[in-house]
Amino acid sequence: MMTEEKSCMLELRDVVFRYNPHGKRNILDHLSLSISDKRITVITGRSGCGKSTLAAVSAGLYPENGGILEGGGILLYGRPVADMNPQERAKYLTVMFQNPDLQFCMRTLRKEMEFCLENLCIPASEMDQMIQEAAENLGITELLDKPLSVLSGGEKQKANLACLFLIKSNCIFLDEPFANVDESSALDLIKQIEMMHDAGFSFVVIDHRLDYWLPVADEIIVLGSGGQVLRRDIDKKNLEAHHDFLHDMGLLFNVSKRKDLKRQIGTESAGKTLNFDENALTEDVDTRDCAVRFSKVTIRTENTKWNRKDTGEILLEEADAVFEKGKMTAILGPSGSGKTTALLSILKQHSFSGIVEVEGENLSHCRRKELYKKIGIVFQNPANQFISQNVQEEIELSIRQWNRNIAKEQCSKKAIELLAEFGLDSYRRYSPYMLSQGQQRRLAVLSVLAGGQRILLLDEPTYGQDHLSTVAIMDSVADKVEREELTVIFITHDRKLALEYADCIYKLENRKLIKMTDAHLYVRY
Amino acid sequence: MLEKWNPSVKMITVFLCVFILTVRNNTKLNIIVFISFVIGMLLFSDVKPGKIFAFLLPAFIAAFGLFIMGLFYSRNSDISIRTIFDISKEQLEALTTSGNMVTALQLATRLLAYAGMGILFSLTTDGEYFVRSLMHQLRLPPKFAYGILAAFYLLPMMRNELRTVQTAFRVRNMSGFSLRPKILFTMLVNSVRWSESVAMAMESKGFSGEAERTYHDIPKLRGMDLALAVVSVGVVAFIA
Repeated sequence: MMTEEKSCMLELRDVVFRYNPHGKRNILDHLSLSISDKRITVITGRSGCGKSTLAAVSAGLYPENGGILEGGGILLYGRPVADMNPQERAKYLTVMFQNPDLQFCMRTLRKEMEFCLENLCIPASEMDQMIQEAAENLGITELLDKPLSVLSGGEKQKANLACLFLIKSNCIFLDEPFANVDESSALDLIKQIEMMHDAGFSFVVIDHRLDYWLPVADEIIVLGSGGQVLRRDIDKKNLEAHHDFLHDMGLLFNVSKRKDLKRQIGTESAGKTLNFDENALTEDVDTRDCAVRFSKVTIRTENTKWNRKDTGEILLEEADAVFEKGKMTAILGPSGSGKTTALLSILKQHSFSGIVEVEGENLSHCRRKELYKKIGIVFQNPANQFISQNVQEEIELSIRQWNRNIAKEQCSKKAIELLAEFGLDSYRRYSPYMLSQGQQRRLAVLSVLAGGQRILLLDEPTYGQDHLSTVAIMDSVADKVEREELTVIFITHDRKLALEYADCIYKLENRKLIKMTDAHLYVRY
Repeated sequence: MLEKWNPSVKMITVFLCVFILTVRNNTKLNIIVFISFVIGMLLFSDVKPGKIFAFLLPAFIAAFGLFIMGLFYSRNSDISIRTIFDISKEQLEALTTSGNMVTALQLATRLLAYAGMGILFSLTTDGEYFVRSLMHQLRLPPKFAYGILAAFYLLPMMRNELRTVQTAFRVRNMSGFSLRPKILFTMLVNSVRWSESVAMAMESKGFSGEAERTYHDIPKLRGMDLALAVVSVGVVAFIA
């Protein structure tokens, strides 16, 4: 009995938690869950099932910072979390959150590490050595003195892990650690996590994508709404038995039928695509068929320094690219490599040198207002661009913005038609903020295309939502592409998403924009 | 070097000098303080002269404006002028020798002196060093001190987000003016969300406002810091 008590790291007993004191919906509804020590446990489930709340409640961050704990108790290694102060809790459990930009309060990693050690009352004389050792152990000494704001998403998460490594808390709770991280950084991070696991740390990971975690997870737990445990004790050995269940939940990323079709076409002409000459292909495309064209485009980061001579770091150098009309083109690349900036340049919101043509017209001769009749953009956080309190109104306002003279009935009729097209017509009386992330994004797409724009730019369409929501939006967009010859350029760090939906894929790496071939893309499988 | 001058002491020194200047109407004092602070900055700090000038330029413009105002439009003036351009030679002579001239010079030079002191403090003080010094020398609670630092490092992110929101609006054919209520509201909601997240991340790393903690760097209070303060305030008080 004693030993069993000891090996239980985290125990939640009949926890009832909600954010709104007067609300009826409990985010965690009578959740009971125990997690064993010294393992990598992955908790998964659809977006909005209360996974992130579970992390914050387990660490005692809720209800201290918001929400109310209606009932139940949380035990860390047998001790109630509510009785511990933050200092004590940090020794047992720390949380790493999904947004790498919102986790630091110091300028550099070294300062942040000092801050962590100060919190634990480590004597100042021991700090430098501890920091040096930790950094050497994790191979990140070169990150120590760089300002955190210049690190990429992956590097920031690495830096954060290093802080938690230094705190030496028994268990580390990771809340969607890869939400802002590209594939190779994610694999790097997993290596670091495995290393720390071998050194005695326990991990609880919240993620709605399992493919990264399958090789290393000791147990996978699937949560349903209200945080109910649907299934647990899943691991790589018994995965087959649970395959259909996981697939239906949208937790396994399987290549869909849409892509199978495309692949078939790909293999038929495999001979051609493999003997591929990059220049030949770019030259090949008729100007009339391209929606956006880059010729020798160079983009630099914004010059914010006092010094005039400092012209900013080069993000993209002499890039040539063609984005074909009526096709979906993906731009892949590590986070922070300048993908979003490239989109901003197409919108004349960031300076560049070279020539960008939109529908055959040189951007430098094109007025912004005319340009925005052709192009729309949806950013990572679609909630930032809503302007009204009601879904239908949101679309109507956009339609009116471009057609000042449209009759009221005609406008609302058109709005309802558009909403129906994306399956949002039943929500038209809702506030945009009440929609799920995936629905918000679909609404944003509709509202930026309401003026009849022919080109759509999508900035990280996977951000902050699970796979099923991503598929819903990408399918809607892909249908529009097929039906109405819409041109879509989307940027993502998710290679599989690009493979599944894009007709053509560019990769932005080391300041170059390279057109990917099948050979490039599959070489790593 | 002025950068190494303990920021809390530096701040108190500047406050005391400002106080002395406020209760005194002494044009000569104002000019001496202004010139000596600027020369001090040129000689004993790493701030580039061009930067000092760039910061002083608006102060000069404001001082000039204040001077014109005080000279031509002060209330006890018995000469009425519609605009400064249709002023006669005699009127000008009368004005420059009147009490108005003295008041105008006092106002303008005082503004310059304030600007000189403010610029000296802000250009030679590192934000983080200042906050740490406030925590140790002036007993600012760590909760506030680290909160200020965290907010400080969130600023670049907020700037980026503002740009994104503005772009999103412009692309929808709407004004991206940053003081538009809708944009302000969006930014406000974001800031609340962000500060909550950062606070939780800090707490998760063991930070609590009340508990005991150690410090890696403690800004020291040396004899030099105090001596410099006493000399500066003393000289200003003496001239006054």
